[in-house]
Amino acid sequence: MNVPPLTPVSVFPEEPSPGQGQAATPTLVERLLTRRQIRLLTDRITHFIIKMGGISIMLCILGMCVFLVKEVIPLFLSPHATPIEPIQLSPLDRPAASTLVGIDEHQELAYVLRDHVLEFVFLGEGTAALSKVPSRGLLPDGTVTALARALGKGHSLALGTGDGRLIPVTIEFTQDFHDEARSIAPSVRVGTPIAAAPTPQPVTKLAYQSTDSEVRIAALLQDQHLWLTSTRTVSRPDGTTAASTVQIDLTPNVPGRVTALTLASRMELLAVGTEDGKVYHFDLRDTAKPLLAETTQASEQGNTITAMAYLMGDRSLVVGDAAGQVVVWMPVREHPGTNQTRMTAVHRFAPHQSAVTDITISQRDKGFITTDAEGGIRLHHSTSAQTLLTLSPKLGSLRSAYFSPKADGLVSVSENNHLLQFHIANPYPEITLATLFAPVMYEGYERPELVWQSSSGSDDFEAKFSLTPLIFGTIKGTFYAILLAVPLAVLAAIYTSMFMHPDYRAKIKPTIEIMAALPTVVLGFLAGLWFAPVLERNFPAMTGMVLVAPFAVAASAGLFLLLPASIRHRIRPGVEALLMMPVIIAVVWGCLATNAWWESFLFNGHYKPWLQTHLGLNYDQRNAIVVGIAMGFAIIPIIYSISEEALTNVPKNLIAGSLALGATRWQTLMYLVLISASPGIFSALMIGLGRAVGETMIVLMATGNTPIMDWSVLNGFRTLSANIAVEIPEAPHGGTLYRTLFLAGLLLFIATFLLNTVAELVRQRLRKKYSQF
Amino acid sequence: MKQWVRHFMASGELFIWGCGAGLSLSLLMIGGLLVLILMNGFGYFWPADLVELTLKDGKHVIGQLAGEEVSPKGIPRIRIKIGNRDLYGLDYRWIDTDQIVERATPADLVMVERREWGNFYGRLRTLTKEDQPVTEGAEAVWQSLPALIGQTKTSEGDSLYTVLVADANAREQSIGLSQVVRVLRPNDLSTWGKLWVYGGNVWMVLSTEPREANTEGGIFPAIFGTVMMVLIMSLVVTPFGVIGALYLREYARQGVIVRIVRIAVNNLAGVPSIVFGVFGLGFFVYGVGGTIDALWFSDRLPAPTFGTGGILWASLTLALLTVPVVIVATEEGLAAVPREYREGSIGLGATKWETIWKVVLPTALPAILTGLILAMARAAGEVAPLMLTGVVKLAPAMPIDWTWPFLHLDRKFMHLGFHIYDVGFQSPNVEAAKPMVYVTTLVLILVVVTLNLTGIVLRNRMRRKYAGSAV
Repeated sequence: MNVPPLTPVSVFPEEPSPGQGQAATPTLVERLLTRRQIRLLTDRITHFIIKMGGISIMLCILGMCVFLVKEVIPLFLSPHATPIEPIQLSPLDRPAASTLVGIDEHQELAYVLRDHVLEFVFLGEGTAALSKVPSRGLLPDGTVTALARALGKGHSLALGTGDGRLIPVTIEFTQDFHDEARSIAPSVRVGTPIAAAPTPQPVTKLAYQSTDSEVRIAALLQDQHLWLTSTRTVSRPDGTTAASTVQIDLTPNVPGRVTALTLASRMELLAVGTEDGKVYHFDLRDTAKPLLAETTQASEQGNTITAMAYLMGDRSLVVGDAAGQVVVWMPVREHPGTNQTRMTAVHRFAPHQSAVTDITISQRDKGFITTDAEGGIRLHHSTSAQTLLTLSPKLGSLRSAYFSPKADGLVSVSENNHLLQFHIANPYPEITLATLFAPVMYEGYERPELVWQSSSGSDDFEAKFSLTPLIFGTIKGTFYAILLAVPLAVLAAIYTSMFMHPDYRAKIKPTIEIMAALPTVVLGFLAGLWFAPVLERNFPAMTGMVLVAPFAVAASAGLFLLLPASIRHRIRPGVEALLMMPVIIAVVWGCLATNAWWESFLFNGHYKPWLQTHLGLNYDQRNAIVVGIAMGFAIIPIIYSISEEALTNVPKNLIAGSLALGATRWQTLMYLVLISASPGIFSALMIGLGRAVGETMIVLMATGNTPIMDWSVLNGFRTLSANIAVEIPEAPHGGTLYRTLFLAGLLLFIATFLLNTVAELVRQRLRKKYSQF
Repeated sequence: MKQWVRHFMASGELFIWGCGAGLSLSLLMIGGLLVLILMNGFGYFWPADLVELTLKDGKHVIGQLAGEEVSPKGIPRIRIKIGNRDLYGLDYRWIDTDQIVERATPADLVMVERREWGNFYGRLRTLTKEDQPVTEGAEAVWQSLPALIGQTKTSEGDSLYTVLVADANAREQSIGLSQVVRVLRPNDLSTWGKLWVYGGNVWMVLSTEPREANTEGGIFPAIFGTVMMVLIMSLVVTPFGVIGALYLREYARQGVIVRIVRIAVNNLAGVPSIVFGVFGLGFFVYGVGGTIDALWFSDRLPAPTFGTGGILWASLTLALLTVPVVIVATEEGLAAVPREYREGSIGLGATKWETIWKVVLPTALPAILTGLILAMARAAGEVAPLMLTGVVKLAPAMPIDWTWPFLHLDRKFMHLGFHIYDVGFQSPNVEAAKPMVYVTTLVLILVVVTLNLTGIVLRNRMRRKYAGSAV
């Protein structure tokens, strides 16, 4: 053995060897320590450094998993509310008939409107009050009998008076910055009154919505008449404005005693709840002709409807009744394909102990808060059908509640004039295990479904975060890739290790290793831009190839054996693969050249309509075949290398024994080698699976990335990994989408880690087994 | 005959041939893929002849042939690159062969390479300077053009000269000379001339910046970004990988824990790259980067400095991705160092560190290099994690320039792999962009395959050297 020359190491460090150019004047360190001590110290220090470095690298690897988990966990933390000390408001002269409460978006300044008296209460700790805002009566004569708030942004209110007038009121909060200190000031604008009905009557209930140019009010009067008033302001070219008002009596449509009213934020829908538990749904799209679209028995027990509200987006209606039931209703298509919808009770929530008194909706998502007559408060989320929080401050029946504009707080007023405030931490209301993995009933769907749709153009969109279609896509892609790669790779590995001429074997392995190194972005590009159109043009020929190839292989093998022995023996053994190449090329070329024939033979002329009519399949250009082939391409080398290693490592003496006993090389393979190597091939399969599960660029480029659930080989799909790549650039840091994508990443991490661990354990055991021979 | 068939099936020869077919299909697939890329990639640079077609309806078409096929209706047709995107809106056109009356390659056809709107194919007409005709006639303009193109590039004036050109059907179009990169008469070139142009094209693609939303021009920034990122990654991954391997092999007590750690390291190599990207985004970009911004760059907030993707974070993410490769290769190398070397060294009185530093590491150096090269190859080809940690389609500035501090680790960068994805799948005119994608693919594959081949050759040589001596 040729040992390279060792670097001379001084054995007796105290006496510097002449070869080593010791400095003539010893340095400071050398004066303090002997050379030996320096050497030992260095050894100690490097020992420490390497140990620390090594351990920290290992911790880094562990830390990666921990970090992913850490980012995901907040999704599943239950929300919590921090109560703020309730404030006792001074009681009015007589009990208020009607109460409304609200707060600004920073939760610093609340307002309480009890009948005609408006009070502002500063709740912010750090923010100074600009000026003390005294409570004041909004109307001089003080006969307010009903109050209502418009849904949506801002604080638009309406007052209904004892003499049958409706008065719009707008409260605004203005921010001011003085020397880095923020201060906030309220302003109140009282609009011009509108008559609620042709004949003056006290207003007992109100629903109100307004935009810049339009006001719509549904008012219930003392004589039980329900009037709908729509006022539209039009600007004339000369600068003046003109108002046109339409008033319609809806009473004939509503037989029962009306107990609750609500208008949708875009003013197109009105819901009227009655004493006997019915809800009348009006379609107001035609201002002049309101239409009673549907009547539902919202409370099956016939309980009085006490509170209603449309959720953000105006599709779902929350109905609360006197027994404390809270139910979300939404229009559901009756039959697929028709536009006829029917209001259906979709989500039922845990009931309150007493009557629901108010419902206030989130302006961020599909969440809402309900309050009851015993002072209980509940926070719900419609999509996930979950009651997220239950609070019971027990300060008497709650009259009015308001979900703060950023959905992070709540104010409420009780009958005993307590102003309650809660800070709510509920950043991920729409995520539960059920919404992530189980079918969910979304707005506008016919039945609970598994959907991934994280964003859309509109603000009031219901985000759909089901990971199931993505997991499905991952499995589908992996399945088709494995279907192609495993047979090819294992056959190739068997051939190389068992039958191939050793001269060629040495050249084949590096070639396949190079194949493993091909960047997947290249495979994805070729699959998406080159192969997908080629396949689309030659789909019949490709089908033909699959049918013809096995026969061609068998035929050429048979023909070879029929050759006279003198010719056959001139060809060296172990070159079957090379002989097959022209056959395969011929099959491919032949089928491509006869594409038109195949199309008429197999598909009766045109394959796309044929597939559509006979199998009900749609042909996507970027489909699972394309991905399967491209991804198969990516994992063939790794499966090949590992299986080949396992097959080659089968002890040679066993093989020799088998052949010596008269088994053919095929029998030796089947009954000895394959069985011994099967754990290794299994581990190759596992590692191939791991690769395919996490592959990103190929699926990103070679599928349409549509998150649909369909096993059809002619459709595209979207995988977890491609989904991360597509969506994470638009996901705000720390948001629901961001964390959900981290969850997807964590799932991939766990899946591949498990697959690889299994593979590794199997391999180690196999190695131990072989080492016995 | 029946007996022969039975014998044939029983011998299993058929299945052996089947196995052979599996291997040859795999090999053919690789071969076909490489041939496809090589042909398309290298073909891009060739200045193909300009063909003038006369159609049955009397119209003329000028362009470069780009393939032929039999259309779905069974009519043979040719695909021709007609250029002149500003006039026609398309780059390619299919023409049925039975529509063609005549094919010709007149020498006076020119190909004008422009900064915008792609190539112009047609004939030269007039050269004007500030609206005054200077020269007229194709030949005269052709003679005077080369000198002027050089001038307009240096002068600051906006298109001092304008050249009037005409397309196949004599539709005229004027092109400012500052917009012109080059004017060629491919039909007039000899083979050697074409080779010269070919070489020039290769050099141009490798050395210039992209134009027209990355679909034309060069890919220099992408090559530079890739190399830069891989180098930074190597600087990080080498010490960490070697220290990790030294710890596992030389310092840690061999037991269950080390075995588990070894499996974990092996498995890390199998974790999907996108997961590393997600980790890099959350940990490096938002975590570490956000902290750096809050501490040292708070004056620039909310515009992030390090709190957004950049070449440093991309390199670190890839370092994490490739550290198992280096650890595994180094461990293998350390294990292959003959035991006698260590014993000799220790016996001569060297400390453990001296033995490692002066005996073990130098012997294992080829293995470490192999690991590093394979890591570099893997890093050069990865795209998914980069998409989350700092790669962009068009970087406004390089990570290295002449302004302090010269090396800008916070900058975003371009990358060959991402270039392929972006140009091939995000550009508005995919048809026109395809040749560019093939060229980028070719360059990327050359880089990756070269690195890999070096690694494999090194490893094989090393294995042969130590075969038998390993314990």
